[in-house]
Amino acid sequence: MKTVIVDYGMGNIQSIIGALHYIGNTDVSVSSDYEVLRKADKLILPGVGSFAKAMTTIQEKKLDQYLKTIVLEDEKPILGICLGMQLMGLSSTEESDTMGLGFVPAEVTKFSSGNVKVPHVGFNQVKVNADLNLYHGISGDPDFYFTHSFRMCSDKYLNQSLCDYGGEFVASYELGHIAGVQFHPELSQYNGLTLLQNFIERL
Amino acid sequence: MQSRNFRLQKVGDVAWLEKNYQFQKIAFSLDELIVLNASRDAKSMVEFSQAVSQLMQDVFIPIAAGGGIRAMEDAELLFKSGADKIVLNSLLFNDVQLVEKLVKQYGSQSIVASVDYKKTNGINEVFIEDGVTKLDLSLEDYIQHVENLNVGEVYLNSIDQDGTGFGYDLETINQIKKAIKAPLIIAGGAGNERHLLDGLNIDKVSAVATANLFNFMGNALPNARKDIIQSGVSLAPWKLMQEEVSC
Repeated sequence: MKTVIVDYGMGNIQSIIGALHYIGNTDVSVSSDYEVLRKADKLILPGVGSFAKAMTTIQEKKLDQYLKTIVLEDEKPILGICLGMQLMGLSSTEESDTMGLGFVPAEVTKFSSGNVKVPHVGFNQVKVNADLNLYHGISGDPDFYFTHSFRMCSDKYLNQSLCDYGGEFVASYELGHIAGVQFHPELSQYNGLTLLQNFIERL
Repeated sequence: MQSRNFRLQKVGDVAWLEKNYQFQKIAFSLDELIVLNASRDAKSMVEFSQAVSQLMQDVFIPIAAGGGIRAMEDAELLFKSGADKIVLNSLLFNDVQLVEKLVKQYGSQSIVASVDYKKTNGINEVFIEDGVTKLDLSLEDYIQHVENLNVGEVYLNSIDQDGTGFGYDLETINQIKKAIKAPLIIAGGAGNERHLLDGLNIDKVSAVATANLFNFMGNALPNARKDIIQSGVSLAPWKLMQEEVSC
């Protein structure tokens, strides 16, 4: 099982590789090369930081075109993590309106500060549907690690699982072979490791 | 390093930590780790980043690393070594421009602002540079300054309580908490699980930190976590993946 982490220079790759190794996936590489991405069995789109900067880099490396082909046409399974999950959406209002990859019909906006501290940092519960592949074997309202100031909302049907922080937002989506998690499974102890295992084995 | 009022006693290296605390097992009862380079000599960022990499082997919670970050390259190295966040202290005062650059580059959620203070004549004063240099700013004003830098979290540490095991400086925390909009981590003085619980029960405190591992040897941390959850505080209910720690 060949897992490739999409390389556009952003995201804590070390932790993701460590987690994949721990659950027994040792064939992990990091690349922005079209052929390498195309030959992967699974893709992971990581990310921490600025949406706009990420999209600029992704476009410069032609990764938007590559991923459109590999993910949308070839239907390669992909898991977006944190910013990666947001990038696959339509757009984000971070800094100014920036277009995303558009794989998922949802938009990213800032938490309205109101009565909660921003960024949303720490472990929080996600209301999961154990029928979904991502959450197979996980039930109840498991905790995952969040750290973000912007979040995805959507009124479309994304097989989303919600987290409530100053209002409900999309903690994860799963549309066939395209999945995204706002939280960091590689930083979420046992729950996160199980989710990663599920992505590798079931999507 | 064992610290009391910022006087340091060397306790052991990373391998010692692993041997005496079966650290990877302990990590399963924690939420996050903060690793600070407290060495007093010219802080060797390369060695420190290697220690961070080693520490994070098989640890699947966020790690914040800091201590002596003075330049962009220091931050880059720590992030590349596996840190999820960096902790800034003296830099918040000494080089505001660099702090702003770091926040812009890595996002505010990647930056923890560490603030050390001590009470003199009833007034809280802020110290930087390993608690040596006193700033001419009140704690309140300094907190405002730090907040304006758009950091992700504030790590507030009482030098007076540090290492004493007598409990957090609840008086100051309760006074200052309204001024802190960012998530607040309190530190300095935790000696037992009661202290952790008292800290977590303060509204507007997001997290409690302890560095005094001697107060929490063996099963103490997992037990503390269990008791805190039982008393109603909403912590993630981790179950230990491996067998119970025995020490």
